[in-house]
Amino acid sequence: MALITDKTRVEVREIVIDFFAEECEVDKQTIHDGTNIIKDIDGDSLMFLELIEIFKKKYNLDIELKVIGKYAVKHPVTTIGQLIDMQMLIIEHENHLLELER
Amino acid sequence: MAEKVVVTGMGMISSLGFTVESNWKNLVEGRSGVHTISRFDASSLATRIAAEVSPGFEEFSRDYIKKRQAGQMTQVTRMCVTASKMAVEDASIDFDATDRRRCAVIMGVVNTGNSSVEKDTTLQNFVFKNMSNSMAAWISMEYRLNGPSFSVNTACASSAYALALGFDLIRQGKCDIVICGGADSIVNPEEISGFNALYALSTSNDLPEQASKPFSRDRDGFVIGEGAGVIILESFSHAVGRNAKIHGEFAGYATTSEGYNIMAPAADGEGMAYTMREALANAGIEAGEVGYINAHGTSTELNDRYETFAIKKVFGDLAGKIPVSSSKSMIGHTIGAAGSIEAIITVMALREGILPPTINYRVPDPDLDLDYIPNIARVTEARVALSNSFGFGGHNATLVFRKYPS
Repeated sequence: MALITDKTRVEVREIVIDFFAEECEVDKQTIHDGTNIIKDIDGDSLMFLELIEIFKKKYNLDIELKVIGKYAVKHPVTTIGQLIDMQMLIIEHENHLLELER
Repeated sequence: MAEKVVVTGMGMISSLGFTVESNWKNLVEGRSGVHTISRFDASSLATRIAAEVSPGFEEFSRDYIKKRQAGQMTQVTRMCVTASKMAVEDASIDFDATDRRRCAVIMGVVNTGNSSVEKDTTLQNFVFKNMSNSMAAWISMEYRLNGPSFSVNTACASSAYALALGFDLIRQGKCDIVICGGADSIVNPEEISGFNALYALSTSNDLPEQASKPFSRDRDGFVIGEGAGVIILESFSHAVGRNAKIHGEFAGYATTSEGYNIMAPAADGEGMAYTMREALANAGIEAGEVGYINAHGTSTELNDRYETFAIKKVFGDLAGKIPVSSSKSMIGHTIGAAGSIEAIITVMALREGILPPTINYRVPDPDLDLDYIPNIARVTEARVALSNSFGFGGHNATLVFRKYPS
């Protein structure tokens, strides 16, 4: 389990917003927690997978995609804020993510 | 009474330009898009020439395809999607005012071009770049269409088959609009080596612009081209109902198999003749009405020979009076895209009243004595034209177009 600091949260937010601004070709200033990834900025589900790979490399995470998938079924992500929150949980709990459900 | 099928939009990309207008201008001027291959180092290959789409296309396509989607497409797919969007724009279709369940997409796809020279292929985009349904998928997604959407592969006749299937959907009353055509590129070392091993390609590397010489005695094989051609087919009543501009009428077609050989056409053009006869019958056209034939005209020994024989079989004494030209003399053989690109050229020829030439026709073949519109475009009053596409494996198609208004 990784230790989450305020710095981590700022970093994760920056990476997520930079990523979507670049991929969706939108101004960073227009992206906020309430931004709907598909409806507002024309994102797609593959972006979520790409972000997971980015964070896996950056934080050297031990996390399987199926674990994330099972968690996401019960906690669907549609907004930027929800995505940041989930990324934080992934970084903090890695493959123990599903234990949060128990 | 059977619904007429008309052409209300067109989009085309080839070595001669990124739009129908620029392509048409260059075709009428008899320009060649064939040059020494620049995309990769072809110096070790027997064939080092091709009719490549200009590298400027990538910048041009950014107005049509978002960066995110472009990254999941090959260059071939980007050509197809760009040509499709240009065709839809040309047709001025408002899909919000159209029943999307009655709109289809059919693309002729031999392969998506995910070859060794394709850039930026990663593990994550490999599947999307490779899947041959991707062109039809992206287009139907773009406009949120809910009618049939699929690809068809019949080698060099692929996009002609796509148009034929689109025609049927409209004639059968299943669709009002069909976005159909194709795109292709085999400008890569693997494909060129493969075709060289079959002695199919021209090796006239020293004079690239003169290499594609259909029907000439010194023809030595086809020249690879690349590009995309997309046509909007629409039912006449739907087009008139929304006051659409009509470029021409798609009067009928034939799609047949030769059942003969994986590469060579049936002897003496027998299969080609059968295809043309069936197309005329399907369109309800008499031989004497045909004023132009856009030939398959690959600049290979057998195709040009047998296609000429076939035209003579079908048209008899009239054959010598029907102008025949090969666009491949200028834009090379665009393989899966050839059927639709050459259909666009045929529609334009009737609409504009100008027949594009067969360029590089300097040394006539004494056995091939039709009027091939040598080197210079010609004014015409033709009202009916055929467009031929004959693919490896014996897949044949002849499309029949009529000038509009008829």
